[in-house]
Amino acid sequence: MSSPSLALISSSTLIAQGAEAKVYKAHLTSNHLEPPVVLKHRFQKGYRHPTLDGSLTRARVAGEARALMKCLRSGVNVPGLRMVDATEGVLGIEWIEGRSVRRLLPAGSNEDEGEPDSEEKPEREAADALQEYGISVEVLMQLIGEEIAKMHLADVIHGDLTTSNMMLRHPTSFNSRNPNLSTELVLIDFGLSYQSSLVEDKAVDLYVLERAFSSTHPESEPLFATVLKAYEQQMGKDWVIISRRLDDGLLCLHARYLLGTNCSYFSASARSQA
Amino acid sequence: MPGRVCKDPLKNPDRPYLALGLEGSANKFGAGVIKHSEDGSTAVLSNIRHTYVTPPGEGFQPRDTALHHREWALKVINDCLAQANVSIRDVDCICYTKGPGMGAPLQSVALVARTLSLLFNKPLVGVNHCVGHIEMGREITGAQNPVVLYVSGGNTQVIAYSQQCYRIFGETLDIAVGNCLDRFARVIGLSNDPAPGYNIEQEAKRGKRLLSLPYATKGMDVSFSGILTATEAYTVDKRFRVDGQPRDPNNEDFITPADLCFSLQETVFAMLVEITERAMAHIGSKEVLIVGGVGSNERLQEMMGIMAQERGGRVFATDERFCIDNGIMIAQAGLLSFRMGFETPLAKSTCTQRFRTDQVHVSWRA
Amino acid sequence: MESYQLPHFPAHLSYVHAVLFTDVSDADLLRMRLITASTAEGIDGERERDALNFAFIEARLITSAAHLKAAIYQAALADAQGCLRTKTVHSEIIYALNPTHNISEAMRRYGVSDATTALIVVRVTGPELSAEEVKRAMHAVVMGTSTPFAELRNVTDWAAVKKYHKLANETAVRGAQGDLHREHAVIDEIVISSTAMKSVMA
Repeated sequence: MSSPSLALISSSTLIAQGAEAKVYKAHLTSNHLEPPVVLKHRFQKGYRHPTLDGSLTRARVAGEARALMKCLRSGVNVPGLRMVDATEGVLGIEWIEGRSVRRLLPAGSNEDEGEPDSEEKPEREAADALQEYGISVEVLMQLIGEEIAKMHLADVIHGDLTTSNMMLRHPTSFNSRNPNLSTELVLIDFGLSYQSSLVEDKAVDLYVLERAFSSTHPESEPLFATVLKAYEQQMGKDWVIISRRLDDGLLCLHARYLLGTNCSYFSASARSQA
Repeated sequence: MPGRVCKDPLKNPDRPYLALGLEGSANKFGAGVIKHSEDGSTAVLSNIRHTYVTPPGEGFQPRDTALHHREWALKVINDCLAQANVSIRDVDCICYTKGPGMGAPLQSVALVARTLSLLFNKPLVGVNHCVGHIEMGREITGAQNPVVLYVSGGNTQVIAYSQQCYRIFGETLDIAVGNCLDRFARVIGLSNDPAPGYNIEQEAKRGKRLLSLPYATKGMDVSFSGILTATEAYTVDKRFRVDGQPRDPNNEDFITPADLCFSLQETVFAMLVEITERAMAHIGSKEVLIVGGVGSNERLQEMMGIMAQERGGRVFATDERFCIDNGIMIAQAGLLSFRMGFETPLAKSTCTQRFRTDQVHVSWRA
Repeated sequence: MESYQLPHFPAHLSYVHAVLFTDVSDADLLRMRLITASTAEGIDGERERDALNFAFIEARLITSAAHLKAAIYQAALADAQGCLRTKTVHSEIIYALNPTHNISEAMRRYGVSDATTALIVVRVTGPELSAEEVKRAMHAVVMGTSTPFAELRNVTDWAAVKKYHKLANETAVRGAQGDLHREHAVIDEIVISSTAMKSVMA
């Protein structure tokens, strides 16, 4: 049987590839004046029994779609859904016109992999870019804290919070209702997300982001306090328990696999090997 | 830093070094002699093992296992030295497993090591069992800086080296994968000879139906206890036929022990390959090394090979001589740290049931 | 009329034509005709079903063209994959629009009813049928004014949409704080997304 989703993918542009999925820019219809969509294809894994592979892929596509839906209903800024083909492992989501926060913040000196345009004067360029979005770094930090708090209040745990998984909508493609804010922070990539109301899980989510900050944007690290402050205000009473867990060294253990802690070491050692 | 070459801090030895390694953290007692030569090469002079095999349906108890090790220690060590054609007076150090493992068997082996050390005035080197597996795997396969999947009856870890430490990326949140397989082998009464896991592998080759089992990965961690329970539950299902034959020749809907072994393997191995791949993607490595007893399973090696191939990388695995617990790996890891000046003083020559892989200072690597 | 293609689909599902009719005056007759046609026998029955081979959608429950397109896409996908929950791709569009799995409820709410005054008529077909032919066939069965889809926002019954999608107490909707323009944008996004993900809805 012919598969429309695979045909769609073969006519789309690959924009990223991870261990689990490939990401494409695509048009669902012949009308290319309509906004494009992001296609996330969880491709087949040859090592897995086909039956097992099929049911896992279906479950994961469904899980990601449900997490996005829950966020949308709870007023968390996430991309909307445009199509779902769980059988083929394809998720079509709203195309966000804008830039990832990672590319809007000054990068560390040795963390410029895959960012070809950050080679020269990354800090200056980042500052210019932020100006284009009409906000200061402080406001950006606040937006991050608020959005994560809204997500946690909906009992959604992102599972992979990094500055690469946050975007700012470009002012020209966004109709803001707030006269003081010409952009919006959007959380993306819910591939590792899950639902949980446990304080522990929320604290780990934040901890992972903190580690990602200190390894990817060493100079912005002090600003993380602003993220937490905004998070605290949005969270209300739950904050006390979460902050206690966040101060607890044991979190490192639980967050270990998410590698905020190790990634800078690893990329450094991988380079010296090469 | 571009252009900088990282050289291992370990220099080639000025003379040949010999080490005796003793292992007994579980139901195998092993002894081996390794030789490191001036040109930097390594030779396995001997590698002898004796396994404590229990009757079908029974696991090995710490007390009986320790007894087995005490009974076999002298014979295995003598055979090992004879085969290597070296006298114990010639070895530079005596390496033993400090942990992790079962308490009583570890203690009986530590006791043997201490006695030999005192009798022949040889320095002791306590070795982390997991690091032993990794170093032997690296030595045998020549893998440079692989992501390591360490899978055995007592351990399940995804490990990668960074800054003189074998960091654990992912691990089991409950029982080890080998424990899961062995316990299921006992449930369906498979023989423990030569190993329950080996017999599961043979049985699985005849399995056809993939039964639905829980699939439990969380981030880079895995969990097996729920899968074991679910597989066991199928053995009390109406459709389960112990003899593998349908009650009625026209009835296609039945479950055989082979189907269960097949389904169990396919599910747990898929989980392991998945978390290994995630670690490889994260650190950008293309090599993967499988060590530990379960690593001798050919289906696991095959699945890992497909994954590595799809990523443009390759898999390294060893055969049962080095995968399954053995003395030579303890000698290898022990001699590496001994050459870096590490010794375990007699007063500290204890053993410990809990000894994490990432607690070891890997002084011999850059 | 709006026409577009789904170039990645099998030929017979690759052309979509849709018309928004307002001031519809014969909804009750149309509904009766649909019921009769579904059971009519012989060559006349075939001809009648062919003449009515469209999705007739209650327009006041549609929040935007994107909402409609999401339902059409998922219905065509189900047809192409051989997993239709209803009889045809057209009834599947109506099923896809309803937030529950109840088929008769979907027809009752999102199909044509006696009270319908605004109607969206959709035809999913192959390249052999020209847009003109489809348009003529649509006008032959519906008495109403063909209206641009941009006018849809004057047709949408937001209270009914909120009720059927259980949105009244949702944080996102309350977050609009009575700003109707904002509230409608939020509802539209939720409705589009839930239509797109209905096949994996919890």
